[in-house]
Amino acid sequence: MRGLLKSMGVTLSVFARKPVTRQYPETHRPLPERDRAFPLLLWDENLDEPFCTGCHACERACPVECMTVLMKDNPAHRSQGGTSTRRKIIDKFWIDYGRCMRCNICVEVCNFDAIGMNNTWQGHEQSVYDRADLIQDLPQLLAEHKAGDVKPWIAP
Amino acid sequence: MNHDLFGFEINVWADAAARLGLIVSLMTVVVMGLIYGERKVIARFQQRLGPTRTGPAGLLQSVADALKLVAKEDVRPKSADPWVFELAPYFVFVPIFLMFVAVPFAFHWEIRVLELGIFYVLAVSSVNIVGWVMAGWGSDNRYAMLGALRAAAQAISYELPLVMSLIAVGMVADSFNLTDIVRGQGQVPNIVWQPLPFFIFFVAMLAELNRTPFDIPVGESEVVGGPFVEYSGIRWSMFFLAEYAALFILALLGAAIFLGGWAWPLGEEWGLPWQLALTAIKAGAIIFAIFWVRVTLPRLRIDQLMAFSWKVLLPISFVQVLANGLVLVYEPPQHIADILLAAISGAGLVLVVMIMNRSVGKPRPRPVLTNRAAAATPPARSEAAR
Repeated sequence: MRGLLKSMGVTLSVFARKPVTRQYPETHRPLPERDRAFPLLLWDENLDEPFCTGCHACERACPVECMTVLMKDNPAHRSQGGTSTRRKIIDKFWIDYGRCMRCNICVEVCNFDAIGMNNTWQGHEQSVYDRADLIQDLPQLLAEHKAGDVKPWIAP
Repeated sequence: MNHDLFGFEINVWADAAARLGLIVSLMTVVVMGLIYGERKVIARFQQRLGPTRTGPAGLLQSVADALKLVAKEDVRPKSADPWVFELAPYFVFVPIFLMFVAVPFAFHWEIRVLELGIFYVLAVSSVNIVGWVMAGWGSDNRYAMLGALRAAAQAISYELPLVMSLIAVGMVADSFNLTDIVRGQGQVPNIVWQPLPFFIFFVAMLAELNRTPFDIPVGESEVVGGPFVEYSGIRWSMFFLAEYAALFILALLGAAIFLGGWAWPLGEEWGLPWQLALTAIKAGAIIFAIFWVRVTLPRLRIDQLMAFSWKVLLPISFVQVLANGLVLVYEPPQHIADILLAAISGAGLVLVVMIMNRSVGKPRPRPVLTNRAAAATPPARSEAAR
């Protein structure tokens, strides 16, 4: 009997508490510090161009072969009368997010720190109606870091 | 012959039809509200939010569910008895609606004032078990049959304490007319004089409604929904409607008979909105208590359930009726009678609590495993083979 009353008390105390449910699409829990979503390309603000030189290191290292990289001569290089120190620069870059397994290898092999893992909620919410829409091109890959939405990475 | 309906003089038949329409529409709205309320309340009991998506704060969830149920296919198994199967929902549904006739919402706000209101309500409410058994039999499904028989056994067992507890109150109130009972509680509600019948009423109500902890007839883990296994769509929703309508009506009854309905504590001078609000608050409190019990207590075993009804509730309710009769037959002065009734009923409640304490409080000693049991075990198979 005392057990019955006690259990009734327990449930009532739970009733008085605030629900723990989060309404997901409206409210987002803060992501963990070292959360990683999909890889994206970083933007060199000083020179106003991507860090990426199109060296194919990430493309070769990618275990699922989700990347396609094309390189070109940098039109803004000093020899061409520009200010950039990069002789070569990225021309076209595609990453198929549908194949990417978020292994972080591309970030580790990059010689120029030009690629990073997206650590924002937008990076996770990539649902589309067609698989082909998951293939990201260069402007899409650069947009988020260019806009300053990505948080600074924490070293492991 | 004309009748008075909200101040309008109208033909008797039109009046009856209007009142019927009122009941049906009120019932549907109330049931949808109750389902929404139950989902919300139980969600809070589990630290969830409940429905939030459909409409503002999920308010339209029940409407969406109702539409979905109406639109669903109404399946009847090939081997089912067509008449019994198809008619069963009506046998569950109609008695519940008939109960509405006598229940008072506020002063002069009832369908009909019946002199034997309690009697009528109880008589009508016990009919719906026929529908349950019909559903179980007509479905030609073993789970349904099991569930229906459990429902029949349970409903019949708990009908008796329910009736006896209400008879005890009727004796004290000196009337079976629900309106008179409510008006007689202007000063003090009946629960003060008759706490034991209120307890019995509450427990028996839980059982009558097949709600946890007395939900063995529809227990999902045992009989996968009991008599409703084979039902779908509109017929299934009629069972559901009847269940929640019964919940609402019994809560209203409890509020009227034990908690003073619209009369206590404001009295009859206050206007209609206040009376309606009082009734709603009291019925709401009872309904909340039912939800609360539902989220807290686990299902009882059928033998525990039967034992509690036949060995505890029924005898003690007979004793209560006898004691009330003994006190009232000598016609003592009013205050002495009141005190005596309250004391006897309170003692009875304490007794019930003690009995429950004895049966639930002490864990039974576990059987001790002795060496004899170990010695009796046959040798391992490999040894025997050698």
